[in-house]
Amino acid sequence: MASEVDAPFYGESTWFCCGNAWGPCGGTGHGACGTCNSGSLQCAWPNTSDACYAITRPDRCGRTGLLRWGCGHTFYITSRCNNARVTVRIADCGPQTDLFCGERDCCSNGLCARDRLMDLTPAAFSRIASLSAGKIPVLISSTA
Amino acid sequence: MVGWFGALQPVLVGAVLAWAGALKLFGHRAPALARLARRSALARLVGNERAVPAYRAVGSVELGIGAVLVLPPMLVAEAVLATVLCLGLLGYLAYARTVAPESPCGCIGDKPARVRWRGFARAAALTMASGLAILGSSWWGAALASRPLAALAVLAVEASAVVALSAELDSYWLLPLRRQRVRWRHPLAGSGGFEVPVASSVHQLMRSPAYGVTGGWLRSDLLDSWDEGEWRILSYSASCGGRPATAVFAVPRLRYQPADVKAVLVDEADRTVLWQFAPEPAVVGVSPSTTITAKMGL
Amino acid sequence: MTDIDRRRFLNTAVLGGATVVGATALGSVAPEAAFADVQPDLDPSAPDPDFAEGRITGINGSMLLVTGSDKSLHRIYVTSGTSIWKLRPTGADAAQVGDGLYARGVLLDDGTLAADAVWLNIVNLTVLITSIGKDVIHFDHHGDRVVGHVVLGTTAAVYNSTPPVSDLTQLKVGYHAQVIGAWRPDTNEVDLATVYSAA
Repeated sequence: MASEVDAPFYGESTWFCCGNAWGPCGGTGHGACGTCNSGSLQCAWPNTSDACYAITRPDRCGRTGLLRWGCGHTFYITSRCNNARVTVRIADCGPQTDLFCGERDCCSNGLCARDRLMDLTPAAFSRIASLSAGKIPVLISSTA
Repeated sequence: MVGWFGALQPVLVGAVLAWAGALKLFGHRAPALARLARRSALARLVGNERAVPAYRAVGSVELGIGAVLVLPPMLVAEAVLATVLCLGLLGYLAYARTVAPESPCGCIGDKPARVRWRGFARAAALTMASGLAILGSSWWGAALASRPLAALAVLAVEASAVVALSAELDSYWLLPLRRQRVRWRHPLAGSGGFEVPVASSVHQLMRSPAYGVTGGWLRSDLLDSWDEGEWRILSYSASCGGRPATAVFAVPRLRYQPADVKAVLVDEADRTVLWQFAPEPAVVGVSPSTTITAKMGL
Repeated sequence: MTDIDRRRFLNTAVLGGATVVGATALGSVAPEAAFADVQPDLDPSAPDPDFAEGRITGINGSMLLVTGSDKSLHRIYVTSGTSIWKLRPTGADAAQVGDGLYARGVLLDDGTLAADAVWLNIVNLTVLITSIGKDVIHFDHHGDRVVGHVVLGTTAAVYNSTPPVSDLTQLKVGYHAQVIGAWRPDTNEVDLATVYSAA
């Protein structure tokens, strides 16, 4: 069985805003890496640092194998529902995985994903799904 | 009377200050405290690098003054110190509200709470209580012993006021109270009615075989939707082979059966159907087939 | 074609009775083609050229003039094929100066973004439910207070990944939730589209 430590793995992806001058996002700045912008193809990852991990706590959902990746690391995110893919770079810490442990999402083909492990900027999320969808099951990979 | 009343105040003010100081110094969620300090207006005042040490220094002062207020003997100087500290807190709140209104107070605990009227009211109440303590005629223990029931009643009312004014403590009493109220009679009962939200139809569509086949062709979010009998019709802009088209889906409106979703790709300009998808009907007594039929117009 | 005619045609097309033209009309229409792995050669750190974010500062017919949060200027061209979301799918006349905007489309040679989809004032917030009132839910969003307005016929709730329902009575004070909604510009208020929560 492939371990999520060194192989692509499945999880839910939501989207978030950063660098916006409008909306409830207005005061959040440019993310933990200082470079995050809603219009760029970027993401938030739950294990960018010890301080980040202390907030997101994916281990509380049983997801103990998430590797530590810092700002600028590249991920390839594929929607399980329509195979659309987007390339993103880490620019922030998130999502808050432990608030929605066990949450599951499935597609028509029976492919599912559990737990919120990825947060995409609006630009990145809208490349693979509609923003009104809110969250989708995805495949997360560090290799193309 | 004023002397007796003032004598009781040090135990309240001292307890609050000592508690606030202890949380800053010994709270088990040290990383959370460090984050809070850096996000609070204190970081604006002393700089990001000095925010955590400054936060802990304030905690030390609070704990120290709180402890001497509670412990005998009662000295006027202690009450004066407490009053100065509380006035300083009021000033900090005003600074925070002006310079960094979105930053958390960082006053008590590790839950972020913005500087709002409750924070000001709490600081003002503590300042008044400290000021009254200067007029205290004895140590609080003696005042309590002289009229125990009255003293406990006064302290209970004052402590309740401090708790009510502490946004950081809402999760311990206010949220449970609201939760209970909602259990008795949910305010949103009756808001739903019997209509099926469009979001539900979109949810069903995205989990359908029809979407699995056509999803890659869709260019837009939901363009339009309307009801046609037992079906909800959803339309999207699409592009296939470079040709613009409209993708139209018929989703069962009153039942959740993604396998029954139908789809077509149409050219609205010349009113032609370019591609059609129809699910296989399920055979009674057999589990629903996942085989799809895509009519290509051949 | 009037709206009624259009819907009548589309109903007939999808519900049966329409003739499907030859496959050659679409070129390669194998379903696998729908999954073509389009990988634009984009620098992930740079702004996506086919995406715009900002606030609407002017409207000129079908053109939305948008000032980005980075002070860049965008011209967004809206057509009948552009989906407009403002709490729900709506028309281009719903756009107003001051609205926050995300738009995805195709960047044309003249620098205009031909929009496929526009989302106005859309927000996606992770919140704590702090109070529930008549047609209103109060949230805590990272220490900020946000007021959520329930919109009859639109606001839906998702409980533990089940399909959205209009019954909101399973929402509980003290629980975390994810909220998709339409921000009311320059306020701390949001009209609620979908609330994801544990039941």
